[in-house]
Amino acid sequence: MRRSVGSSSGPRKKAEPSPPVQGGYYFRILWVDLTRGESCVVPFSERFALKYVGGRGFGAKLLFDQLPRIADPLGPENILVVAPGPLTGLYLPGAAKTAFASLSPLTGYYGDSNMGGNFGTELRQAGYDALVIVGRAEKLSFLWIDGDEVQIVPAAHLAGKGALEAEGLIREALQSQEVRIAAIGPAGENLVRFATINCDWSRNAGRCGMGAVLGSKNLKAIAVRGGRDLPVADVAALRLLTDRSMRELMAHPLFEFWQQQGLMSVVDYVNSAGVLPTRNYRENVFDQAAQIDGFRMEQEYKIGDTACFGCPMCCGNICLVKNGKYKGTITEGPEYETACMLGSNLGVGDFAAILKGNQLCDELGIDTISSGNLIGALIEAVQTGLLGADEVDGLPLDWGADDQITALLEKIARREGVGDIIAGGSRAVIERWPQLAPLIVQVKGMEQSAYDGRATISMALAYGTCDVGAHHNRAWTVGKELEAGGRWTAEDRVDLVIYHQTIRPLFDMLGVCRLPWIELGFDENRYAEFYSVVTGVPHTLGDLLDRSRAIWDLTRLVSTSRGVSRKDDYPAPRMMERPVEKGPYAGRVVNRAEYDELLDLYYRKRGWSADGIPPAARAREFGDPLG
Amino acid sequence: MPKRLTVVPERCSGCRICESVCALQHFGVNNPKKSAIRVIALYPHPVIRMPVVCRQCAQPKCRENCPTDAITTENGVVKIDPDRCISCRQCVISCPFGAIFFHDDIAVPFKCDLCGGHPQCVQHCPKGALQFVPDHGLGEANRLASVLRYAHMSEVEYVEKGERKKLRYAEIGREQQRAAQEG
Repeated sequence: MRRSVGSSSGPRKKAEPSPPVQGGYYFRILWVDLTRGESCVVPFSERFALKYVGGRGFGAKLLFDQLPRIADPLGPENILVVAPGPLTGLYLPGAAKTAFASLSPLTGYYGDSNMGGNFGTELRQAGYDALVIVGRAEKLSFLWIDGDEVQIVPAAHLAGKGALEAEGLIREALQSQEVRIAAIGPAGENLVRFATINCDWSRNAGRCGMGAVLGSKNLKAIAVRGGRDLPVADVAALRLLTDRSMRELMAHPLFEFWQQQGLMSVVDYVNSAGVLPTRNYRENVFDQAAQIDGFRMEQEYKIGDTACFGCPMCCGNICLVKNGKYKGTITEGPEYETACMLGSNLGVGDFAAILKGNQLCDELGIDTISSGNLIGALIEAVQTGLLGADEVDGLPLDWGADDQITALLEKIARREGVGDIIAGGSRAVIERWPQLAPLIVQVKGMEQSAYDGRATISMALAYGTCDVGAHHNRAWTVGKELEAGGRWTAEDRVDLVIYHQTIRPLFDMLGVCRLPWIELGFDENRYAEFYSVVTGVPHTLGDLLDRSRAIWDLTRLVSTSRGVSRKDDYPAPRMMERPVEKGPYAGRVVNRAEYDELLDLYYRKRGWSADGIPPAARAREFGDPLG
Repeated sequence: MPKRLTVVPERCSGCRICESVCALQHFGVNNPKKSAIRVIALYPHPVIRMPVVCRQCAQPKCRENCPTDAITTENGVVKIDPDRCISCRQCVISCPFGAIFFHDDIAVPFKCDLCGGHPQCVQHCPKGALQFVPDHGLGEANRLASVLRYAHMSEVEYVEKGERKKLRYAEIGREQQRAAQEG
């Protein structure tokens, strides 16, 4: 089980000259200054490309360089880095990811969120490895990147429009089906701190409030089109490798089932495992789980599949409500997280209501995880008398009351009434109502995703130490610890969390999806082979993991420079103080002493101080220039 | 035996693997904009993902409208002769399906050539949304579906080797009887 990753401490090998990079990069970053209304192409060196790889690696480095200039995540001086990776757009499974990195308005610390679909492929085909947006347009606009031509187009007529509606209107105006448009909804314009960026109908950069960053720049959307060849050193070798990979992936016994249900198959698993957040994380099993799971979706709602660029897995489910009060609701989704956070966590057992919530969140441009999490806390607060009805605009909030929930989603996005408070995220809600602090499940100001942390302490550590907040994207250790954790030592747990935090972000650097590896057991070493044939520079998985590990230190440095330390690396109070009420792990809490022991070990293994700060010398290693 | 490339849009997920392999096969590059098949995805009204590709028409509009007779049909495959083509793109406009494409890097428009009888898109489609079927098989799926949809069928359930099965059949004469009774 245990995987070791090269330690960051200890003597470093002297860099040997590597063969020239023959693919993977255009060596061009498009830099757009909205305040000046100017753009330019910034070149970067091979050394830079190999060291930071791409995607979130580029995002973290470019943000780190600009950090001294940035006071407010929503100020014009903050930068938004849009970075696909060196593998994005190529013929290989799941080559569709684009990282959106910035100083997060939700946490105030390092943030990135990635999006599948087709946007990254198009941005790369336009000839850019990354796009950096800084400044603020005078009026609401959209950015139109047509290959080498870059324009800032006034878009007053798009004010207040839904993200999907705006996408459609821009496509119509540009008269091309080939254009890919990443847009924000009203929530992004209104600077909701968990606003999303949406593309291709339902592919979201959902977390960290990247939509608010775009909104703060007065940018409704980024439209892009390009036709360049993607740079690859050995095309024939890549083609052979991918042909083989696709065959292996599609031969997996669960492949067809995955195509049918995608991430919705997780509902059943998590509920039977007893870690499904229910009624604001108070319970861990949901009695109506069978009403909101993948089988239910298949039987009554699913009308088609969608896939991200180049991926055979087609995780996306198109669902239509054919009867009842939500008749006519059509959406791509939900994914597991949405089914839980807008379903079980709110006591909603009506799949049609979840679909309605999913559609609303996409159109309004808000994150379903943060929304469901905060609304759950509000319902509990009203139910337990911590908040009076008058404080929530008189809405009779209750578990499963889908009408009030959808009303709240609208209020959040438009910042109306109580929605204006929720729109500020966990921190703002706790500031306004300190009595809600024990109810809100968040780390570093980011609301936790849909796997409970009390059953498995390694997952609590994963949430506590995740660089963007309580998100499962960097480490997901629930499954393994439930299977084998009884025999684990503290070291086993810490090692698994660090291994996950090293390999999972690597996918976000390469610009590919991690699901083939996670869900269908696709060999992770293959990504080193892909990177080697694409760049022409031989790499092992270990080489790439070393770089991912370095980026973890870099994102930590961004956050520690903004005040993050050990105090911010603890799971939410609910995880530590309030026992699970229902399910196989009823009675469980995260034991503070045990957690402290894990955290000490975690910092030691990372080479950080007991307060969670990387050594000062580490910062200097990231001070290198682009060129 | 002549075969035809057909599309089953209901199955398409919009993954564009067909685009990638087409460009690799014909131009040796990773560039979906150089492929002779394109997935058009529309949403939410209507919701559809459909690969658009040449149907190798027997009376092709592209050939009819080509001012230099650069388009010919060989063994059922409509081809563009790069020596005769002046790249006026009349064929791109004329094709009723929009299944002829061009790219600034490439001298003349390009279209599906069925990969010499082994279409790569069909081979690589992970959803079976692209099919290469014999001419006589065209329309067969619909014919079969319409037969299966026939409403006046009786059903009998039985058990074979422990497995519960259903058999549907049309009872001879029953329809006339029913019509007589109702009449």
